Amino acid sequence: MRHSLLAVPAAVLLSQLALGQTPKVGDRHPDFTLPDVAGGKPKTLSDFRGKKVLLVQFASW
Amino acid sequence: MPVWHDATKQWATDGKLVLLGVTQEQHPERCRLFAQWKGFGWPILHDPINVLGSAAVPVVLAIDEHGIVRSTRPNPKTFAADFLDKAFADDATNKPVPPTPAHPPKFDDLKAAAEAAKTADAWRRYGDTLALWGGEEKLSAAIAAYRQAVTHDPKDGPAWFRSGVCLRRRSETTAREADDFRAAVAAWGTALDLDPNQYIWRRRIQQYGPRLDKPYPFYDWVPDAEAAVRKRGETPVALPVRPDGSEIAQPAKAFAAVKDAPTNPDPKGKVNRDPGSVTCEVVVVPAVVKPGQSVRVHLTFRVASMKTDHWNNEAEPLRVWVDPPAGVAVHERLIAAERPKAATSTEPRTVGFEVQVPKDAAGTIRVPVYALYHLCDEVGGTCRYVRLYATVEVKVK
Repeated sequence: MRHSLLAVPAAVLLSQLALGQTPKVGDRHPDFTLPDVAGGKPKTLSDFRGKKVLLVQFASW
Repeated sequence: MPVWHDATKQWATDGKLVLLGVTQEQHPERCRLFAQWKGFGWPILHDPINVLGSAAVPVVLAIDEHGIVRSTRPNPKTFAADFLDKAFADDATNKPVPPTPAHPPKFDDLKAAAEAAKTADAWRRYGDTLALWGGEEKLSAAIAAYRQAVTHDPKDGPAWFRSGVCLRRRSETTAREADDFRAAVAAWGTALDLDPNQYIWRRRIQQYGPRLDKPYPFYDWVPDAEAAVRKRGETPVALPVRPDGSEIAQPAKAFAAVKDAPTNPDPKGKVNRDPGSVTCEVVVVPAVVKPGQSVRVHLTFRVASMKTDHWNNEAEPLRVWVDPPAGVAVHERLIAAERPKAATSTEPRTVGFEVQVPKDAAGTIRVPVYALYHLCDEVGGTCRYVRLYATVEVKVK
């Protein structure tokens, strides 16, 4: 089941994360504004300041 | 993703957590359909040009109330104790910066800044803003901006990748230019050569590439999703560009060459040549292969003048005959294009097949193909059965 994060072998996930520019623990996440896939208002990460956020980058495949 | 969706549903309902998705896919509607199918109610943002700079997905980050990353590998089972129920101090070492790319967009200001700075960074920033916020009408300007970026710095991998995204997007619009898809594949290939560890870039080539290079079929789930959504009494999200061919092809571990070749439908070339009513675009993915590797060939046939010609769907379908030289393997020799149920139509017709070059191949391998199809003209009402030649060039390096 490739859509499930838990199905990704830990070693693979670790190696992939090590390759990217994913912010480190303790970093303030760089702010960004992106369009909504549903065509709604664009959203900015900092709009959610004051709330806890789980940011999930994924693909449907 | 379903794992986190299920684990966090109650916390999101209670207002304790915001679940925010980001997808780097080329087509946002496909992700919308996936979300509809799975019942995701949370916002999903579209980052087709990968401004976040991730090297691969999935990436899951727990970000606290101050915008500080607290975990890059959260565990659903211990998420509440590790993160959700904790209060964090605003103790980040780095300072906040304005969101990138800027929104609302100031295209003219960014263009002026790029012209003044004359740097790849400035042109890429302008291109990013056009690509994300400019819609279809700004795609050409975005492509031009990225070209400026790679002119200033030919090693700007993100600019190469993003120009490929815009070229492929434009190839699916009415503003399409003849070479867009091939140029997109070339740009993605250049980007990946600069950074072979960039899996977001690699996936874009694999999406359109051969089965031997596929980690998964990408969009084979679409019919299941649409059926499941309809069964619930809902209307599935419409897909303006439906996945087919390479985008749903199953991965393979070995090249399956055709064994019992079907009969060449016109071996002596007796069918009259098409004088130019139809064009054939040939795109090879990836743009360059090593000896022994395989490519996916995309042939797209377009009626040159929709005002005067249309496909005759009541006759047999458009067929392509592939005639590989000695030593070159193909997985199909005779391929028929799909056609709509209507008696006539003018839509582009696509045919795909895979070619494996010999282990001692070098330079350019040429594979001749021809298509046979039925056309009718609107003016005189006459129909004709014609033949069109094309050559597939596979570059080996």
